[in-house]
Parts: sequence; C-alpha cells; structure tokens
Amino acid sequence: MLRIESLSKTYGNGVQALLNVDLEIPKGMFGLLGPNGAGKSTLMRTIATLQGPDSGAIRFRGLDVLTQKEEVRKILGYLPQEFGVYPRISAEDMLDHFAVLKGIVRPKERRDAVHGLLQMTNLHAVRKRKLGTFSGGMRRRFGIAQALLGDPQLIIVDEPTAGLDPEERQRFLNLLSEIGESVVVILSTHIVEDVRELCSRMAIISKGEVMLCGEPASIVADLDGRIWRRTVDKSEVASYQESMAVISTRLFAGRTIVHVFSDDSPGEGFESVDTDLEDVYFSTLKGMYAQTA
Amino acid sequence: MWKSIFLFEIKYQLRQPLFYLVTLFFSILVFMSGTRDGVGSAFGRVSLNAPLVTMDLLTRGSIIGLFAVIAFVASAAVRDFDRRTSELFFSKPVSRFDYLTGRFAGSIVISLLMYVIGALTLAISSFMPWLDPELVGPFMVAPYVFTLGVLILPTLFCLGATFFALASWTRSILVTYLGVVGFFAVNLFSRMMASDLENEAVGQMLDPFGVEALRGAVRYWTIAERNTAIPEIGGVLLYNRLLWVGVGLLVLGLGVVTFDPSRSRSRRKKRREETKQVAPRGAAGGVSRPAASQVFTRATVLTQFLRQTRLEVVSVFKSVPFIGMLAFGLFIVVGGANSIGREVGTDVYPLTHLMLQAIQSGYAILLVIIATLYSGDMIWKERSLGVSEVYDAAPTPNAVYLGAKLTALVLAMAAFLLCGVAATIGFQVWRGYYDFELGLYAKGAATLLVYPALMVFLAGFFQIVSRSKFVGYALMIVFMLSWDLIEEFGFEHHLYRFASVPPTPYSEMNGYGHFLTPFLWYSLYWAFFCAVLLGLSIVFWNRGIDTAWKLRWTEARARFRGPARALVAAGAMGFVATGSWIFYNTNLLNEYVPSDEAQERQAAYEKEYRQYKDGALPRIQAVQADVDIFPGERRVEIRGIYRMENEGSEPIRHLHFNLSNQVRVNRLDLPPHQAEVEDDELGYYVYRLDQPLEPGEAAEFGFDLTVEQRGFVNHGPNTSIVANGTFFDNRAYFPVLGYTDRKQLVDRSARRKHGLEPVHRFAKIDDDFARRNTYVGVDADWVDFETTVSTSADQIAIAPGSLQSEWTEGGRRYFHYKMDRPILHFFGYMSGRYEVVRDTWNGVAIEIYHHPGHEYNVARMIDAVKKSLDYFTANFSPYQHRQVRIIEIPRYAAFGARAFPNTIPFSEAAGFIARLDDEDAFDVPFRRTSHEVAHQWWAHQVVGGNVQGATMLSETMAQYSSLMVLEKEYGPEKTRRFLKYELDRYLGDRGRELVEEMPLSLVENQPYIHYSKGSVIMYALKDYLGEEPLNRAIAEFVSKVAFQEPPFTTTREFLDEVRRVAPEGSERLIEDLFETVTLFDNKVAEATYTERPDGTFLVRLEVEAKKLRADGEGIETEIPIDDWVDIAVLGEQEIDGETDDKVLFFEKRRIADGQVVFELVVDERPVRVGFDPYNRLIDRNSDDNLREVSRSQDTK
Repeated sequence: MLRIESLSKTYGNGVQALLNVDLEIPKGMFGLLGPNGAGKSTLMRTIATLQGPDSGAIRFRGLDVLTQKEEVRKILGYLPQEFGVYPRISAEDMLDHFAVLKGIVRPKERRDAVHGLLQMTNLHAVRKRKLGTFSGGMRRRFGIAQALLGDPQLIIVDEPTAGLDPEERQRFLNLLSEIGESVVVILSTHIVEDVRELCSRMAIISKGEVMLCGEPASIVADLDGRIWRRTVDKSEVASYQESMAVISTRLFAGRTIVHVFSDDSPGEGFESVDTDLEDVYFSTLKGMYAQTA
Repeated sequence: MWKSIFLFEIKYQLRQPLFYLVTLFFSILVFMSGTRDGVGSAFGRVSLNAPLVTMDLLTRGSIIGLFAVIAFVASAAVRDFDRRTSELFFSKPVSRFDYLTGRFAGSIVISLLMYVIGALTLAISSFMPWLDPELVGPFMVAPYVFTLGVLILPTLFCLGATFFALASWTRSILVTYLGVVGFFAVNLFSRMMASDLENEAVGQMLDPFGVEALRGAVRYWTIAERNTAIPEIGGVLLYNRLLWVGVGLLVLGLGVVTFDPSRSRSRRKKRREETKQVAPRGAAGGVSRPAASQVFTRATVLTQFLRQTRLEVVSVFKSVPFIGMLAFGLFIVVGGANSIGREVGTDVYPLTHLMLQAIQSGYAILLVIIATLYSGDMIWKERSLGVSEVYDAAPTPNAVYLGAKLTALVLAMAAFLLCGVAATIGFQVWRGYYDFELGLYAKGAATLLVYPALMVFLAGFFQIVSRSKFVGYALMIVFMLSWDLIEEFGFEHHLYRFASVPPTPYSEMNGYGHFLTPFLWYSLYWAFFCAVLLGLSIVFWNRGIDTAWKLRWTEARARFRGPARALVAAGAMGFVATGSWIFYNTNLLNEYVPSDEAQERQAAYEKEYRQYKDGALPRIQAVQADVDIFPGERRVEIRGIYRMENEGSEPIRHLHFNLSNQVRVNRLDLPPHQAEVEDDELGYYVYRLDQPLEPGEAAEFGFDLTVEQRGFVNHGPNTSIVANGTFFDNRAYFPVLGYTDRKQLVDRSARRKHGLEPVHRFAKIDDDFARRNTYVGVDADWVDFETTVSTSADQIAIAPGSLQSEWTEGGRRYFHYKMDRPILHFFGYMSGRYEVVRDTWNGVAIEIYHHPGHEYNVARMIDAVKKSLDYFTANFSPYQHRQVRIIEIPRYAAFGARAFPNTIPFSEAAGFIARLDDEDAFDVPFRRTSHEVAHQWWAHQVVGGNVQGATMLSETMAQYSSLMVLEKEYGPEKTRRFLKYELDRYLGDRGRELVEEMPLSLVENQPYIHYSKGSVIMYALKDYLGEEPLNRAIAEFVSKVAFQEPPFTTTREFLDEVRRVAPEGSERLIEDLFETVTLFDNKVAEATYTERPDGTFLVRLEVEAKKLRADGEGIETEIPIDDWVDIAVLGEQEIDGETDDKVLFFEKRRIADGQVVFELVVDERPVRVGFDPYNRLIDRNSDDNLREVSRSQDTK
C-alpha cells in the first residue's frame, strides 16, 4: 500500500508541479491520467526517489520513501518516460548488468532471471543484438524487463505506451496487467484506453492537483446519463461551446459531434450516450465534474 | 540566404552567456600575463610590451582560447542535431553549402571577436600605472594586427574548419575536443623536429599554430629587434600559414561535400526496418518469472563495483577517440625518445630512464587533458544516453558509480603509461639496446601515474560539484592556470598547490636517490586530499533530477554518513598528518625560502656588504683539509686550515668571510678577535682582530664544519652529497674571504625592483686594481693544497693532487692527496663506487673513474686526453701535473664537466653514454674531454685578472684548443658541423642577454659569447692567420703569463701577441673579431655558368655583402666592407656510391663593395657556388651563402 500525503512541489522557474497531492494506492494497477505537463512525471519521479518534494510525505509498506531511498530502491521497479540505452551492448549483457545493480549477484539465479524476463518480454530471440538496433517498442519492452528485475513490490511506469504502435502497446499492457496482480503498479499515461483496459483504480491529475480518484467502473457509472451527444455543423460549434458545458468535440464525416455534460437533456437533438472513461476525463479536466464520493 | 544564416549565427552566439564568460576569462588571462614580467619573451632587456612579447603572449593565449573556439564552432555544427531542429532546417530550401559555411563563418567571427577583445585588453594592460616604466616600451599597433592577422586568423580558420567538420561528422563534442589534442600533438612533434638543426625547416612548416615558424623567423633577433621589429611575412612563416589555410579549406570542403543531415547521433533510423521481424505474440502468459533473490551485502557492492568498472573500462578503451589519442601519444613518445639527449646531432644510448623521461615529457599535458575531457564525458554519460534514471533508481550506492568511473579513468591513464613503456621498449630493441631494466620501468611508470591520477579525482570532483560539463572543464582550466600563477606570486610550497609533487630526477649512478622520499610523502599527502575529494564527490553525486542548490545541499548532508563520511574524515586526518610531517621537514627541520625571498636576500647581501668590496684581505697561501664523506647519511665533515698572509702594505684589522648557510659550524680557530658582524641568514661575518695582521705577517684560519641533510626540503634539495656520486667544490662549503660580487643580482629589472643601482658585472678591462685578483676568486691566487679525504668502504674518494697514501680504518677508506705545485684556490671532492681505467702518456697517469656499465666511450676519452696532451704540449707549453683524472658524477650537475687541477668531474650525461658506433656520429666525449684537458692550460696556467674578457682567456681558448685536437682527429668537416651548432647558439642567445652583449675580448662571463662565439671567432682567426703562426703567438703569450703573480693578464695582452704574428693589413680583422660585435650579411645573388669549347666552365657569380656593427642591444649600423671572404665553386663526385661535394675552386677574395661579380673558370661542371660557404664569418642568414648554379640562358 502506497500512501501519498499532501505532496507539493514548485520548480525554480515558478511552475507548480504538484499541489497538495493526496493519494492512496493499493495493490494492483493504478492509472495516473492527465494531460501533458500535469505533474504526472514529477509525481512518478518523486515516488521513484529521483526527486524531492517541497513538502509532504510518501509511505510504502512502512518505509518513508523520501528519506529511506536506499531501502525503497531495493523493492522498486522503474521505467522512466525517456529510456535510453547503451547502443553497443547486447540486450542480454545489459539486462545482466542491471540485475547486478539490483543486487542479484548469484550468477545462476541472475542468469535464470535475465532469461526469464527476456522470454517474458519476448526479447529472447534478439537477446544477442545490440540495443542500439532495437525499435522503440523493443526498447520499451526491454525497459519493462529491467524494471521487473528482482521481484519489485512497487513498479512505476511513466508513459510506457507513448510512441508504440497498437500491437506493441497491446502486448505491453498485457504484460503489465499480469504482473500487476500482486504488487503496486503505477502507470502514468495520457491515453484513456490504457487505464480503461487495465487499471483497477485510477486518478486524474491536472495542473498538479488530483481532480479525481477511484475505480474506473464506478466513476463511469457515476456519470451515467449525464453525457449528451449531438452532431452539428462545424460553424455551430462555437455557439454551443458558449451556451453549454461542452466537454469534447470530434469530427465525424465532415460534421462535428459534440459531447455535453448535463444532468438533464440540454436541448433538442441531443441524445444520451453510454458514458465512457474519456467523457469522465474531459469532464474532469474541464472542471465540470468533481469527485463526490 | 548565406548572409542571413551567417548573421543568425552571430546573433545567436552573442545572446549566449558562454561568449561573454569565455571572453571575460580570456581577457583576464591575457591582462594578467601582460602585466607580469618573466612571462613569455619579456626577459632581461626586452620590454613587457615589446612586439615579440605581444606576439608571444597573444599566440599562447590564443592556443588556450582554442578550447573556447571549439565550443563556438561545435555549437554551430551540432546545435540543430542536439535540439532536434535539424529536420525543421533541412526541410527548408537552404543549400547545404550556405547552411554549413554560413554557420561556420559566423562561429569563426565570434571566435575572432573574442581574440580581438583579448588583444585590446593586452594593449590596455601595458598602460597600467603599477608597471615598472623602464620595462614598458612605446605602444605599437602593428604587433597586434600582425598577430591577429598572420598568426591567429589562419590558425583559427584551419582548426575551426577541422573542429567544424569533426563535429558535424561525429556529432560528438568529445571527439571534437580530442581533435584539439591532435593538433597539440602535431605541435609538440613539430617543436621536437624544429629543435633539431638538421630538420628545423620541416618542423617549422608542420606546426599548425605557426608558433615554430615564428620562432624560426625571430630566433636570431637581437634585443633591439625584439623591442621594435615585426617579422617579415615570407619564407617558412608564409608557407606555413598557406599550408594550414589550405588544409583548412580542404577539410571544410570535405565537410561540406560529405555532410549528411539525415544521420543522427546514434544512427537509429537506418535499423528501424529490420527490427520488425519479431513474431507478434498474443499474450505474455505461460512464462513465469523465476525467483531471483536480491542480496545486499558488502560483497554485492564489490561485485557491482567490479561489473560497473568493467563496463566503464570497456566503453573507454573501445572508443575510437581513445585509441586515436593513444596512438598520438605513442607517436610523440617515440619521437621524444628518438631525440632525447642528442648533442651536436649525435644520439645517446636509449637508457631506460631516458625512455621514461620521453614518456613523461610526451604525456605531460596529454594525460591531464584526457583526464579532464573524459571525466566530463564519463560522468555525464548515463545522462546523455538517457539511462540515468534507471541507474539512479537502482539500489546501488553512489560510490559504486563514481568509483567505477574514476577507476576506469585511472586505468586509462595507466594504459597510456603501459603503452608508452611498451613503445619505448620497442624503440630500445629497434636501436639494438637490450638492457630493459623492467624494474625501473615499473618504478618510473608508477611515479608518472601519480600526477594524472590525482588530476582524475580533481576533474571528477569539479564535474560533479559544478553539475555541468563545460563549467567543470572551465574550472579545470582555471585551476591549471592558477597553479602556475600562484607560483609567480611566490607561493612555491607544494603543500598548497594541488597535486604538486617534487620532481624525481634519475641518475644512472644514484638511481632515484633521496628524491623518492619527499616525492612519496607529497604523493601520499595529495592522495589523502583526493580521498576527501572522493568522499565529497560521493556526497554530491548527482542522483535524480534535482538541480536546486538548496535541495542538493540538504541531500548532501543527509548522505554525509557511513563510508563517505569515514572517507572524508580519514582523508582529512591523513592530509593533516602527512601535511604536518612535511611541514616539519620542509619548514622546521629545514628553512623554506621561496625564490622572491632568496632574491631579497641577494639584494640585502649587496646592500649590506658591498661597502666592503675593495677592502684589504689576507691572501690564502695554503689549504690543508681533512674531509670525511658519509654517502649513506649524506653528510660531510670538513676540518681545514687556511694559512693566510697579509700581502699588502697596510695592516689588516678586519677579517671578512662568508659561510654557506648549509654548513653547521662546529668550531672556528682564528687569532684573538671580536665579532662585529655575524649574519647567519646572509652568511656574512666580520671579525675585528685584536692584533692587526701586519704586512708580510701570516695567520691561520681553522674551521670545523658539518654539512648534513635533515629530513627533506620543499625545493632545491642538495644534489652534491649523495649516496653514490658525491661531488662538491670548495666554494660550496669552505669559508670564502671577502665580499663576493657573484652573489649579486644581475637582471636589471630585478635590481630596480629591489632598489639597487645598476652595477657592472665585471670591472673594466683597464681596471688595474681589479687585476690584483684572478677571476677565480678574491681571497687567493696560487695555493699549496693538501687533503685527506675519507669515504665509506665501498667507494673511492678523489680530490686534486697526487695520491700519497691510501688506507682503511674503522671500516672507511682514506685517501691522502697532495699537490706537487701551487694551484688556484679551486678544488673539488668526489666519492663514488667506481671502476677505474688507467693508462699513461709520457709518464702522466691517465685515470678514468666511471660508473660500472658506462664503459662505452672510456677509450675515446683516454684517446682524447692523450691527443690533447700531444697537441697542447707541442704547441703551447708543458703539462704541469703528473695525472689527468676524469671522474664521472651524476647528471644533477648543471654543467657537463668542470676542470679542477689534474682532476675533472664529468657528468654522466655529458658523453659517457653518447653513441658513437655510427660513423657519422660526432664524438661528443672526445671534444669535451679535450676542452677540459685544455683548461689545465687555460685557467690553470694562464688565468685572467678579474676584469672583462677573463673568461675568453679560459673558455674561448679551451674551445679553440679542443677544436684543433678535434680537427686533427676528425677533419675539418666534423669541426664545421660543431661550429654550425655554436653559431646557432650564439645567434640565438644574444637576444636573451640580460644586460649588454659584449665584444669577445670584453666578455663578462657570458657563455654564449665565450663558448659559442669564441669557437667561431677563433676558428676564423686560425683560418686567416694560419694554425702555426697563431699557435706561435699563443705559446709566446703562455710563456709570458703562465703562473704569474698579480696583476693578472687580460685579453689585451693576448691580442698584442696575436697582432705580432698577423700579416700587414689585418688590423681591422682583429678589431672585427674580438673588439667589436661585427656581423656580415653575405649571400650569392645570382650564379650561372657557360660551358666553354675547351671543356672548361666559366662560372659567373654575383655576390652581395654587407658588414654590420652592433651595439650591446643589437642595434646594427652598416659599415663599409673591405674584407677577404671565401669564394667557392663546388662540383659533385661519387665516392662509394654516395654523391659528395667536390671543391673545384676555393679562394679568399677581397670584397670592398656591397655587390661584386666574379667570373671564374673551373675544369668540371659546377653544381653550387658559395660566398663564405663555411660560415667563417658571423652571418645571421647563413642559408643563402650557397646557391645552385644554373646554365646561363644567354649563351647559344
């Protein structure tokens, strides 16, 4: 169980990255959703011991994450948002090296762990290849392999699906969900589907603040019946935006579909839609919906 | 388009703080060097802002500035790739040419701007009010323009183009920086080449900075020229500049042609396609993760450290730039090994310690630069690769990461040294020398590793604390400059200059001797300091992404525990402890005297005691001394008695004497007296005798002194009394009577600084009062000498005299020497483990005491002794002693050899290891031996009075004598070769004169005159007068003045004898050669020939001649010429398959006009003609005296 208490961080240039963030993150996959620049990476890095907050506390299984960094690193698996490699070293050698850094020093166990993870991430066939020749997806999978070294209890993956093609992404998420059953996995993303498909709990963060936190299904259920849709001409969009709580607009076959947040039907031509997580996300970001529970 | 790219670049760089920082830094540097004397070429009488000094300072500064130039140029080349804006750029309609050259030109203009500002600062610095006005000359614009235009701009263009091309090819700043190291290597190599007379032009051509070419152009400049002239843009300098501008154009062109904007740093894109082949897989199920236990113990940390070190080592050692640097380094080392110890173009045996010296000088700067550059590269490697967050989140201690990097760097330094060792062993094999002394190699390489290893820790610390690669580099540069700077300000103690360790000179006789102990203590001291740096580096190690100082500070304090804290604490304690021990040794056991204080004391000595300069002194008549040498303890006990007599006509009431502050006085036995002055610091004593010493009365001065070494000193350790190869002379430790003006400051600006009036170095030649003394000393002339010297049982002790008896007592060997006739009051003591080779010549015993293993040239030396005795006894006078001894001493001595009566200590560096197996080699030991034997006549028979010209009578005459022996043995060609070096040295050193260049016959102990010019002049005199008449005059002179009583002779009396044998009309010749500074500028302007019907050849040559008189500053005035000069026509002949000169015509012709045409008939086809072809006359441009003859065009 990871508990984050009133965490705040302001950068030297005045950017407020985190503002009184309180979160409780249980076992399982936890999705951290937010637009670019919302403070996701700051939060993730802070949990991953790479950054200190201005105030607040983080506890994980009786450890104070902010001061007992060494202890936390022993049970941490971290895949940063930007993950480079030594271009001239093979995947197997590099993973072996990371294993040593993670404290897996018994040679036999290390070899098994490395091979196991390479198989698991489907890189076993290319294990002898230099990392410099890997594609973005392979690199991500290599990244998750290193993050999983040493049976981590806390896994942090920052924007892991960015830049992956759909197939790669799918494979990656499957891998994560499998692991996420027994440990805490925090996944940050700005892609709503990632969360919908995987996470048992989630939070939406914007401008450094937690806007919403809960189980995706119950949140969606909470919004059920409050999202309306209408297909309009492009030229009309602006006037709708002025008069109604428009949460999103989407082009479809030359016309525009607008989604509107409203407890009752906002007017003629609107139909109620099956709420999905995306609507929740946009309503939250636009400040139209806040957690009630 | 070009223009806008160009302007954009300039504007962009002008907006960056880097430009201002670097320019400020550069200007400060230039300003400081401009306002300090002793920097660059400002030396002696050359003013602080003399054109040559300006050129020198600016070019040197510009070389340091290159590190900034790289930053500007490389930034222009790779910025778009770093910022990932390249695709934006190259999708626009910009031509590759415009883009690249525009950027390049912009960055070059920025670099030039920095240099221009630096030049302005230098100009301003010469107006600073605190400068000694005597040292500031008139302001001139030309040198600044010349330096910027001719020296800096072409270099900037060429190097800039190379950096630009390197940066755009590799997109790597490191490779670009190593590019500059490459240029330094070429510069070093060309400097080595240029220092060798045989291929100086090649060396001057090759130097990319143009510094060597400039040096060549100004090499023979006089003081006056240094102060006023600008070099001509021509000759080698011009070709050098053209060459490198050409190289720059070529590289820039290549850079433009091969530019590939699509290639990014790691070439990911190319591989993209082929990575798709992995079969997709639905789910990752079915594979379980095997359990792997994490272990966190000390053993784990060790494993992690070893693995990380391996990774770092591999990544450094496999990198192309590293291998390139290694190759460059070896190139320099082997080049240095090839030329080390070379004298008159003759090599020495490649002894292992010389090879170590070549490694040391070859790597001196290289290793520090590499440590600096790679520390920056390695410490930020994870960051630049983008893996740092993974590393930082791993449960691995900071110490592992940092330790691995530093270890890898130290190993890299060690690899350089090992490769250096391997290369020099290879060199030894190539030279057919197989005594490798691997133990010495190991020891030497270990000592050489200390400095660069310490630098690794400092560079790493700077990188970590500054958190920026460039700031880290800048800190290193500031550190290195300040390191030299604080020494200038009189802070010379190794204790406060990081990584400052005393040198460890090696001697074949004495090994590393006593130098190793202080070296090890200082090394340990700085190693402890590095432990502190390491601890702090661990504490400040950048982990995570926080950059704010406050957070880093908090973090650092939290980390300051455990091993890091222990390391800092232990390091600090060790640092203080070793520092205290060193301080105890250098400052408490011994006296620490920085050089400005030493100068202060010299000045004080003069101020206090010069008043006694001409006071009456008793004269020493006899010296009797018991000297006990304890080589193991480096201690000497001296118990001696001077028998003194008042030779004057007035009673002597005061006894003045000096004692070295290195001696401890146990007892002085003097007639009853009162001490009036006892100045232990300056070593001057005045005793008032209770009973004045009446004229003709004698007295005894007994002394019991100890010279011992307590602990070690900071600098200038005693090198006279050593474990094997002790040598000292009487002036070092024996009491010296009266005021000695040899202790005075000579340099005029140093004198002004200490408020001293200018004084003459030497009394005028017509100062008859000064002639009462020889130039050897004021307290004695001829003395009876007897000594008993003892040493340890395994050594032989030598002093002048005939060996009376030898015995062993109490485990020590005793030798009793007695001179059979009076000698000058000038003697030395030697002791070592020697092998002795004996021979005789007409009843004179010849003894060579040499270090075992140095047998190589002993036979040549004996031969030289015999042939010298032959020639000198036949031509000058009989030999006065019954022995000639040569005793090898360690190479610590600043001189090659020194001639005491019948006893000649001879440095191991001066001929013992010269390699003479090549037929072409110049017999260095032969000539030097002959010179020293000649001193038995010139100094020990004929000794000049203490006035101008005295050293001509000893040194010049000894040079002449040895040249004659040399010529008899080896012929005129080898003699001319030696003279070529002598002429070069004379012309080169006269510009470094501190006071005034004197004519030869008035020489004031100026080595470049009495040795080098003297050789050339005497050889010319012999050529004009003939050997026999000249020797007749010399013999006559000797017979008149040998062993004379005061007043002592002068060069005037010598020249009187010469004039007596000179033919009519050579009056002017002697005036030109001896009594004035006269130079010629002779050249062959035109030379053609026509073949005549009878098979002979008519040679027509047009010569130009100029005769010049120079004053003491080197200002020349042309005077009418009317001299006899050699005219030569040379053909070619084949001897044993080699083409050689054949002299077809050689005659002296009278030249009475500036331009003369000769027509000569010769029998064979002429090839070259010469006008003073053998440089008998002093000619600053001796290369144009010979010229190829071409077939005349207007015939047929």
